[in-house]
Amino acid sequence: MERFIVELTVANHCGVLNRITGLYAKRKYNIDSLTVHESSDPALSVMRISSRGNAAIQSQMTRQLRKLFDVKTVVLLNNSML
Amino acid sequence: MKRSGAQIVIESLCRNKVKTVFGYPGGAVLPIYDELYKNSHRLNHVLCAHEQNAAHAADGFARVTGKPGVVISTSGPGATNLVTGIANAYLDSVPLVAITGNVAVPLLGKDSFQEVDITGITQPIVKHNFAVSDVKELSGILDAAFEIASSGRPGPVLVDIPKSIQTDVCDESEFVVQELFFNDLPEADLSAAVAAITEAERPLIYSGGGVVASGASEELRTFAERISAPVAFSMMGLTALPAGHPANLGMCGMHGSQSSAKLQSECDLIIALGVRFSDRATGNTAKYKQGKKLIHVDIDLSEINKNTDTDIELCGDVKTVLQKLLVLLPQQFRPQWQKQVSEAKKLDLPPEENSLTPRTLLKTVAKYCEADTVVATDVGQHQMWTMQYFPFRSPRTLLTSGGLGTMGFGLGAAIGGCIANDRERTVLFTGDGSFGMCLQELATAVSQKLPLLIVIFNNGVLGMVRQWQTMFYEQHYSSTTLNRKTDFPALAKAFGAEGKKVTALSELEKALTTLAPDTPTVLDCQLDMDEFVLPMIPPGGSVQDLVTRRN
Repeated sequence: MERFIVELTVANHCGVLNRITGLYAKRKYNIDSLTVHESSDPALSVMRISSRGNAAIQSQMTRQLRKLFDVKTVVLLNNSML
Repeated sequence: MKRSGAQIVIESLCRNKVKTVFGYPGGAVLPIYDELYKNSHRLNHVLCAHEQNAAHAADGFARVTGKPGVVISTSGPGATNLVTGIANAYLDSVPLVAITGNVAVPLLGKDSFQEVDITGITQPIVKHNFAVSDVKELSGILDAAFEIASSGRPGPVLVDIPKSIQTDVCDESEFVVQELFFNDLPEADLSAAVAAITEAERPLIYSGGGVVASGASEELRTFAERISAPVAFSMMGLTALPAGHPANLGMCGMHGSQSSAKLQSECDLIIALGVRFSDRATGNTAKYKQGKKLIHVDIDLSEINKNTDTDIELCGDVKTVLQKLLVLLPQQFRPQWQKQVSEAKKLDLPPEENSLTPRTLLKTVAKYCEADTVVATDVGQHQMWTMQYFPFRSPRTLLTSGGLGTMGFGLGAAIGGCIANDRERTVLFTGDGSFGMCLQELATAVSQKLPLLIVIFNNGVLGMVRQWQTMFYEQHYSSTTLNRKTDFPALAKAFGAEGKKVTALSELEKALTTLAPDTPTVLDCQLDMDEFVLPMIPPGGSVQDLVTRRN
């Protein structure tokens, strides 16, 4: 399974991390690593989540993440892009 | 002008054109209920007997009107009782706004009396939820809740309001607007779809709840006629074409029509409209798609390629996409395919029967229904028979729990649907098992003077589970024989409703001609416990595995 990273810009308030990790858990995808930090705009945070999956899983996860109202942008980084 | 949080709730509901809310009061929503009391002239609160049914009622109301249903409950158990109702709305993409009270802000996070983390609990089953932390945000959050619930693919939104925020006061000038961020949908490329449809020899339309939700019944009919394609429906989409339309194959999938199964296996192009390829509708997805092209139209991008690989994806509102396609598609004739369709439809003719069976029961009740009569069901065999044999004629007349399969959904939904449909006669088809899960809500139907016709398919067993036990578990009837002595007519009367036992078709006809106009009637119809719902594609199977008769 290919490793891929999604980089998210998300709202910076309590419960947001829960929504993101909850989505991974609900769809049964494991998170290998995760970083979160406040962005230059304190209203937003940046998250980088690394997990593994084929192209279909990568597409499905980015599409699901885009539906969350606390998620502003989703960027997919995978081997073909790196 | 200064307003309390509770007043802001009422103003927001009225601003969002809400006239009816369903709910149940309690300690943490007392300020809101005090404002409901003062505003009863413009906001009708329907008191239910249980929060779960209040949520189902709001869900049924939303399915009939297409507008968000609203349910209010208190914190703790009031909130957790909503969970099944919210999940039900989520899986059927029903717009719902659930408002829960919570303990006062200083008591939050301390396991206070009747405190639960309801935003945490409902997170996987809502489109979005809000925990209000400042009264200044409340108005904006409620507007956002209505916007989110009804825009794009509809769904439930929960707003949790601590009691102290309901009593906090702020001025309108201090209101904070919630900025909503909607990700843009990709522009749908129609040319590939037009080419695939034009090249196809045997196109089949697989139509779902999205067609009903987007109000695209007319477009669907024109589209099917334009390209000479039959239409097989998921359960959620069943009402989009009238039952008598020549292109209508009825429901497809596990208990779908034989014609839909046969034509699905013979077609060379599937045009999927507002569906999500549920396992109940497709069976084995690999075999389902074998040798066919697939066009998938859906407003939710994440549904495309989720359960099956799509050749041509068209992300957008079904109604808009169909309108655009109709501009590009000239009339297409497919006489050979049309012949196959009318041949296949002969397989669906029900047997001739004169006694009281699930089929004659449904046909007889249907004779007494109008085209716009709202029909609710519970979950199980009676639900599948209703899909197979009840001739639905207009969209938004079917209230049924599709995705979650919630036994107990029906009575609450029928109450909400009846109120939404100007309190006209509303029918609930239920089973003795399902009805047992929600029957306390008869109290509400009586107090609201609702002319519900509640038809119990009483076979003394949990029929659908029993059917599986017969077919797949060597007739081990584990916990599916009810052995109850419930006297449903007497029970109905105890609640203040009417009730009759029905053992023959003639008794049914007689009961249907003497229905009380302003109170629910329960008809306890005695049926054989070993009736099967057929045809059936066993779980994980495909069209080739179709079972059409017992043994």
